[in-house]
Amino acid sequence: MAEMEYKKETRSVEGSWPMEHWSWKFESIALIAKAREAFKEKKLLGLKCPGCGLVYFPPKPYCRCTGEPDEWVEVKQQGTITTYTFTGAWAYEGIKEEEGPAGEPMIICGVNFDGSDTLTVCILEEAKPEEVFVGMRVQLKWPEKIEGRLDDIAHAVPLKE
Amino acid sequence: MAHVDVAIVGVGYSKHVSKRRDVNIAELVWEAVSNCYEDAGLKPKDIDAVVTGNMPAFEGVNIPELWGAGHWGAYHKPLIRITTGGTTGGSVVHGAYYAVASGLYDTVLAIAFEKQSDGNSTMGLNTVALADAAAQFQQGVDPGFLAAFGGGAVGIAVYQAASYMKRSGCTTHHLDKVSALCRNNAALNPWSHLKQPGLTPEDVAKTVLMQYPIRFGHVCPATDGACAMIVTTGEKALKLQNKPAYILSCASCSDEAALMGISGSGTTNMDPCAQEHCKLAAKWAYELAGIKDPRREIDVAEPYAPFAHQMLMFYERLLLCDEGEAPAILDSGSMNLDGELPVCPSGGVISTNAIGASAMERVTEVALQIMGKAGDRQVKKEVHKGVAHGWGGAVNLNVVAVLSDTPRRS
Repeated sequence: MAEMEYKKETRSVEGSWPMEHWSWKFESIALIAKAREAFKEKKLLGLKCPGCGLVYFPPKPYCRCTGEPDEWVEVKQQGTITTYTFTGAWAYEGIKEEEGPAGEPMIICGVNFDGSDTLTVCILEEAKPEEVFVGMRVQLKWPEKIEGRLDDIAHAVPLKE
Repeated sequence: MAHVDVAIVGVGYSKHVSKRRDVNIAELVWEAVSNCYEDAGLKPKDIDAVVTGNMPAFEGVNIPELWGAGHWGAYHKPLIRITTGGTTGGSVVHGAYYAVASGLYDTVLAIAFEKQSDGNSTMGLNTVALADAAAQFQQGVDPGFLAAFGGGAVGIAVYQAASYMKRSGCTTHHLDKVSALCRNNAALNPWSHLKQPGLTPEDVAKTVLMQYPIRFGHVCPATDGACAMIVTTGEKALKLQNKPAYILSCASCSDEAALMGISGSGTTNMDPCAQEHCKLAAKWAYELAGIKDPRREIDVAEPYAPFAHQMLMFYERLLLCDEGEAPAILDSGSMNLDGELPVCPSGGVISTNAIGASAMERVTEVALQIMGKAGDRQVKKEVHKGVAHGWGGAVNLNVVAVLSDTPRRS
């Protein structure tokens, strides 16, 4: 037997978990796929629970009340900011750029679109960080080319009423 | 309602620092377990069952409880691991409590630990978000957007903090004050990780902004550490300790994950600071404990607060004051070691966060306050009842335990 070497320190071994190669066949994926198709017609489709009336957008096949949302309803493209933060902050606050995205801070906010009872995360454009507040009204901003991707609805601008 | 009174008769900590390179997982945990045996005056042969817990994804070492079983005195014993995220340690205490309260076992050893330096905690957190993230990639979400949105616990915490500040009137100065309070308390705790005696809110305000509104000084460290606890029946406890700490009740409540629903669908848990499920768990725990007015009856609180705003937010959600009152209560000095209702006298999770162990350490600290064995961090007032809390899961689980110096039925 080879002589055992006694190590004074523990060590770590590199590993990885390649998330991008996973795929899922949840029922909710098929429902969201239908909602994504509707993006191409610039429509937001949510699912309403017959039990409690909550509207899920993007759609979900089960409700917190244990009901099964099954009624498709159109959700409005205006909404209200429920919470927010700024990213890229470390770039201008002195942490090295290679540790995170550089450049101007991006405003990321949780938006509750009118006619739904859920929250969607969006990047807020055409606004300065100091202008954002909880309760601010915003409007969905479609990309120039809508591909039916989930991040087609990832951008919003302040609502001009 | 428990069939049997349950009491904590011994607790133990390992040394807590960023990197325990001098010991492996089994040895690190043994430090806490041996201290616990000594504190209780018991030996492995006295233990009827063992409950352990950590987040194996953080270390990258699976089934660690079997690796350590020999070290910890768990051979030929019923053994179970409980893993619920940040709440793990709290859930482990629940497991031990259920085992004794049900009458199935008399004396149970509970162990919770994390040796984060052995693995990659960021990757570990990613594995918690795996279902969400993978499904979103599949449906056309740019990984860069998900990263910018703010991955991991800090990402969730900033939205929670922004929302809490709006709802409560809490200012960034309050966040600075929470950090200063906790880190000064931690300096009195020999088992804490970040000790910063004399730290002022002004010092915290000068630390770098990580992501609005949270600064570096508002965030917990990553810690290697372990905690152990022996619980037994009320009858046996009095033979072992003059003043055991009784667990009056345990309650937990889960909810939809805030911000994003599973696989990119919507979540109705729209406000990450609402924590309605924490209020439910607290309500249930107080009811089971026979506590009618927690504000008057609770003497010390150990909320799970790895981020500064959470100490105030969970103080409110644990029903210790009305919503929005906590910042003013902090200003009044009531939360200090010599205050009316001291909060995080241990220094809290913001000073020491060996993730799997953290929620058990909240229970341990309340137990030490009740036993009068908290040393320099012992609060000035007399402690009869205390509340310990944990927050975790996929940021959607709250666990609460209520402890007392007298059993439920006396």
